[in-house]
Amino acid sequence: MSLTVESTRFGTLEIEPEAVLSFPRGLIGLGGSRYALLSTEPDSPFSWLHSVEDPGLALPVTRPWGFFPGYEVLLSDAEAASLGISGEAPTDVWVTVRATERVEDFTVNLRAPIIVIAGATGPEAFQVINDAPGADVRVPLFAAGADVAAA
Amino acid sequence: MLSITRRVGERIVIGDDIVLHVQEVSGSTVRIGIEAPKAMPVYREEIWAAVKEENAAAASAAKDLPSGPLKPPAS
Repeated sequence: MSLTVESTRFGTLEIEPEAVLSFPRGLIGLGGSRYALLSTEPDSPFSWLHSVEDPGLALPVTRPWGFFPGYEVLLSDAEAASLGISGEAPTDVWVTVRATERVEDFTVNLRAPIIVIAGATGPEAFQVINDAPGADVRVPLFAAGADVAAA
Repeated sequence: MLSITRRVGERIVIGDDIVLHVQEVSGSTVRIGIEAPKAMPVYREEIWAAVKEENAAAASAAKDLPSGPLKPPAS
């Protein structure tokens, strides 16, 4: 049975329960515990992380490696331990996009990626603090030297 | 704000689940150990504030993202 969300941006969304990611810690400063990933345009590198609880809450996200092939996520031992994900490979990684008027000016937050793990009862996602050198909060997506975040 | 003076080796308990250990003081630097439940993330304040600002900015995006001539490089 799909969930219905009356999105303020996209109108009525039918979301399959399997598409919902659980965020045990929410997003930093925004909270929320359940979001779904939406692809609104097939050829776009951008997806939307849409809250299934708040119809007005959605963030554009992208997978980092298409833009930053050398991107690394480095968690401190304390962070990995507190998340209980030591040694567990993420199934997916996303970064939030600061969408400005011109796509040339878009930036992404490489400092706080969203990592998805399998989870015991379904996919779980955590916005983590990336300790990799050069992984800043506002990195131009289309910078010439797009390997800035490579460690 | 509550202010409490502690010595190295002493602790502060917040609620029943959060414990702060004063581990080391060296000049103007203090090292603090934190025990907190898994659901209670702990951040350095400046990083938390920066990420919070980026999340809020991302969440203010309009439905139609501008498209442009630029495409990501093929991965």
